[in-house]
Amino acid sequence: MILSGNPLSGRELDQLKIFLKKMNLEYDEGIEYSICILNEKHEITGTGSADRNVLKCIAVDPAYQGRGISAQILSELIQYEFEKGRPHIFIYTKPGNQDMFSDMGFYTILMTKQILFMENRKSGFDKFIEDIRRETPGEALEKDRKIGAVVANCNPFTLGHKYLLQKALEECDYLHLFLLSDDRGMFTPKERFEMVREGISGMDRILVHWTGDYMVSAATFPTYFFKDKAQGRRANCRLDLELFAKRIAPELHITERFVGTEPGCAVTGMYNQEMKGILPRYGINVKEIERITSGGIPISASAVRQAVIRDNLEAVKSMLPPGGYQYLSRYLKKHQE
Amino acid sequence: MEIKKPAAAGTLESSDCQVTVEAGSGGIEFSLDSAVINQYGNQIRKVAFDTLKNLGVNNVRLTIVDKGALDCTIRARIEAAVYRSVGQTENLPWGGAIRS
Repeated sequence: MILSGNPLSGRELDQLKIFLKKMNLEYDEGIEYSICILNEKHEITGTGSADRNVLKCIAVDPAYQGRGISAQILSELIQYEFEKGRPHIFIYTKPGNQDMFSDMGFYTILMTKQILFMENRKSGFDKFIEDIRRETPGEALEKDRKIGAVVANCNPFTLGHKYLLQKALEECDYLHLFLLSDDRGMFTPKERFEMVREGISGMDRILVHWTGDYMVSAATFPTYFFKDKAQGRRANCRLDLELFAKRIAPELHITERFVGTEPGCAVTGMYNQEMKGILPRYGINVKEIERITSGGIPISASAVRQAVIRDNLEAVKSMLPPGGYQYLSRYLKKHQE
Repeated sequence: MEIKKPAAAGTLESSDCQVTVEAGSGGIEFSLDSAVINQYGNQIRKVAFDTLKNLGVNNVRLTIVDKGALDCTIRARIEAAVYRSVGQTENLPWGGAIRS
């Protein structure tokens, strides 16, 4: 028997959480759909869930393994994703499952001691790198250049971002700016891209790319998108940093990663902390740059969003570059109408 | 027929296959995963291309994850995925193209 929900709730959710705990897994915030295969006593024998285009929390009770339950779960989850119009699917699971998911049409992107990350496209990741390289001038791909990277949401683009990019540029020949592709923010990806383009005009050694599914995404760093709610929770960001260090940075010869200090947000603060622990092991320097302030308060995109919500336009204006403020006021007018 | 949206049909269970279709980039892009690819890879490929031809589909990214499906199963799964990709779920002209 099959039990499913978008997502499960009440007693059924409790039952699922207990089962996952038994399997040494935790029910992730952000899950939008779950499926459980039940036995005749209505006990869970196997389960799997989806968070956007990421399949996770997949487990089968050892007593029921070898009966095709995981194939049934995966089939349902893949059907669900396609019906949602998401053909590019990722799996976040444990390394022991590699053979099983390989047999189901998934390909490994990264495997560490704790994590296995797979996708259903043979050359999905390679194509991602290929696209970035195509967006990069040949000189910035040469080995002897000093190449840096910033990953940012720019939701919206602030004077803080501008300062961070300027400081970073002082220290490298070329700077890749990876802009989050996720569309859950106050501003759409297209709006953010326009704000960035305007904000960095004249800074011609910056190369802007989309992060796609491979950097700070629902797949690599799911907690990021719940950071306002998940205060104090562990940032689930190891995969993101390992993937950057092992597979992305080497392809582009990135040796520097720049971040702003994070006084406000616990999740991003932990991300920076983990970054300083992990990246240097792969020869990547992490430079934390002190945030600039406005009226004694550190400038951040979340401070701007707060000010937008409170209609405090003076505060908004003080934190954005002039072009950005014009853009934002046009945006606000459009949304008020 | 033209693939309008991504669609899937079939399962990963034994003796079945999971077929997915997406709009192609000018041609047929075919990818096959199968435990019996060395024995039956060419035959599966032939069934897939014949089925697409009958459906009049020539611009598609088709993937098959095969779990030991028979030819008739493969054909039915491809047809179902293609019909779903154009949003048709009733009055299906099994084996042939949907003409509008």
